[in-house]
Amino acid sequence: MTSIGTGYDLSNSVFSPDGRNFQVEYAVKAVENGATSIGIKCDDGVVFAVEKIVTSKLLVPKRNVKIQGIDRHIGCVYSGLIPDGRHFVNRGREEASNFKKLYSNAIPIPAFADRIGQYVQAHTLYNSVRPFGVTAIFGGIDENGPHLYMLEPSGTYWGYKGAATGKGRQTAKAELEKVIDQNSEGFSARDAVKQAAKIIYMAHEDNKEKDFELEISWCSKSETNGLHKFVEGELFDEAVEYAKKEIAGDEDSDSDNAMSSDDEDAGPDVATTTETPATEGNADRDGDIEIE
Amino acid sequence: MAGLSFDNYQRNAALAAKSHSQQPKATSTGTTIVGVKYANGVIIAADTRSTQGPIVANKNCAKLHRISPRIWCAGAGTAADTEAVTQLIGSNIELHSLYTSREPRVVSALQMLKQHLFKYQGHIGAYLIVAGTDPTGAHLFSIHAHGSTDVGYYLSLGSGSLAAMAVLESHWEPEMSKEAAVELASQAIQAGIFNDLGSGSNVDVCVMEVGKDAEYLRNYLTPNVREAKQNSYKFARGTTAVLRESIINVCEIDEEEVCVHAAA
Amino acid sequence: MNGIQVDMNRLKKGEVSLGTSIMAVTFKDGVILGADSRTTTGAYIANRVTDKLTRIHDKVWCCRSGSAADTQAVADIVQYYLDLYTTQYGTPSTKTAASVFKTLCYENKDNLTAGIIVAGFDDDTKKGEVYSVPLGGSIHKQKYAIAGSGSTFIYGYCDKNFKEDMTKDETIHFIKHSLSQAIKWDGSSGGVIRMVILTESGVERLIFYPDEYENL
Repeated sequence: MTSIGTGYDLSNSVFSPDGRNFQVEYAVKAVENGATSIGIKCDDGVVFAVEKIVTSKLLVPKRNVKIQGIDRHIGCVYSGLIPDGRHFVNRGREEASNFKKLYSNAIPIPAFADRIGQYVQAHTLYNSVRPFGVTAIFGGIDENGPHLYMLEPSGTYWGYKGAATGKGRQTAKAELEKVIDQNSEGFSARDAVKQAAKIIYMAHEDNKEKDFELEISWCSKSETNGLHKFVEGELFDEAVEYAKKEIAGDEDSDSDNAMSSDDEDAGPDVATTTETPATEGNADRDGDIEIE
Repeated sequence: MAGLSFDNYQRNAALAAKSHSQQPKATSTGTTIVGVKYANGVIIAADTRSTQGPIVANKNCAKLHRISPRIWCAGAGTAADTEAVTQLIGSNIELHSLYTSREPRVVSALQMLKQHLFKYQGHIGAYLIVAGTDPTGAHLFSIHAHGSTDVGYYLSLGSGSLAAMAVLESHWEPEMSKEAAVELASQAIQAGIFNDLGSGSNVDVCVMEVGKDAEYLRNYLTPNVREAKQNSYKFARGTTAVLRESIINVCEIDEEEVCVHAAA
Repeated sequence: MNGIQVDMNRLKKGEVSLGTSIMAVTFKDGVILGADSRTTTGAYIANRVTDKLTRIHDKVWCCRSGSAADTQAVADIVQYYLDLYTTQYGTPSTKTAASVFKTLCYENKDNLTAGIIVAGFDDDTKKGEVYSVPLGGSIHKQKYAIAGSGSTFIYGYCDKNFKEDMTKDETIHFIKHSLSQAIKWDGSSGGVIRMVILTESGVERLIFYPDEYENL
């Protein structure tokens, strides 16, 4: 079914005759081309990880943070249009803050998902706006334990044990299923961090020619006292080492990636590491969206 | 000049101080109203005097208002406000009843009245006793102009409420019969009629029994019927002497008949 | 008044007020709220059997003092908020209820005369909690709280006699004696003493008539 030229893809608030909203579908395309993001739920928390494609050698490593906190107990990562995601998080912070101001306790995560979900859905209704070009994975810990959600441009959201979005989502999802199945008897937050690192590395395999940085954050009752924090230091290095070993084991080490982290200009607040395979310097991501 | 200006406030105050004529004032009814719960229902009663300052404006006004067929309301305070607020909430209660396909409830009328009065911060001078029956039973409440409400087995409001309350406090008892309750309420109103200058004339009663239609007893008691005059005070013809008589023709009237023929 | 000076009379003309003695006390098994029952308009007692202990949620109640109209309106609004909260997020905490009271009382402080004590029982922690929200709209967590015009007379008595983790009977005794004194010395307080007990097992109401509490 061709849609080009039929006009049903120009407006946000108009359905096509077969009941589709093309604007929302285009937004999903924007997400599908974005960098891979994942979230894993473990026994007493959640772990987020994201692949950050290095689009220029001039970018300062560790200084371009992607995972964001929405409240002290909620973290968020997303794939798609970065500015849309920044706005999404800002709105999320407002919701969390308003809730805390009125009720004097932190917003329960299902309640947060519902509020931000309604906001995203509202962007599929009006001509004056366009849908969000992101799929967001967010979660954390509240009085009822850990929660993990993934929210799409249409405004639909579901609760997940493990969630993945972006370019490498297929690989990541397949791996998440395996990992969660293997750890069904008990899954510590530390183990989940290592698995998250591995999954991002594996999802990047199909996109090898481009450099990337890994970023991981977590929110665990036992490890971070229920607060959302970045994974850094030894644990982070350990996770990266494990990820690389697993990749090498899987594919008989077809690349000799040189570690080049711990640069003198890197700050201590966010720990990430830079992968530098020998590829061409400028790897601009082409954002063309095709509609078949 | 930026900011708020209080010029008009000061001008009005100065004008009010200087003027000899009275400033406009709302008509306030000195009133006695009561409500009494009994075994199987509730009744409300009121006097029928309406005043404007020291003048009796109406000797037989009606202070019992119908909100819905089985919810009635006795009003004290500003006459126009009790009437208006009662009719407004009466209309809204009917719409609400149609919308929900349910019999109106007393608590609904109470909540709507109190929220309306609270919104107007006491500027609507309505002091009400709300009573009625609904599927949940018989109910009796009072509302003050600022929007506060009270519940009770017996209540009184208005300038004669002290006299009425004295009667209620000394004679009320739980689970009274309908007849005893009507007697008590009308005694309480009469206490107001005879002891409070603001209250007078007759007693109106409305009886609301669970499961029955409300009985509105207009002028249930008329303890202040004006006596027939003992004598005739007409003056006999010729009482006043005619000293002089003169007839003046102010104008002449000529009469003439005119025939008008209609054209084609 | 000339438009610059402001009317300092807190109550509007003819307004019904709860010249009051109210208190709430935490104890071993939960919390107990207590209040007198007098409502006045000037020198006249408009209601001698008022219920100043108002339900906000199943196990969150409040004691009202100040303007009857204002405190009833605020309590109604908080009740509405917590109903909504319950359907959306589940049972609210006492702290949440007190926070909503605070927000309303603080943001409308120029138009309200409301001194409120919020007390509730938390089914999760099995503990009673008391929050005082006085005139300006501040909020104070306390082991016990007293408020209203009659409370001034019993600060000393309460300070000397309150103990943490009292039994239910001790707490009832403490409240009954405290309010008895408040009523005795405050002309605006009187009538019966009402109490509401919030514990694990539910809500219990008590009433004490003058014959009983006047000659303790």
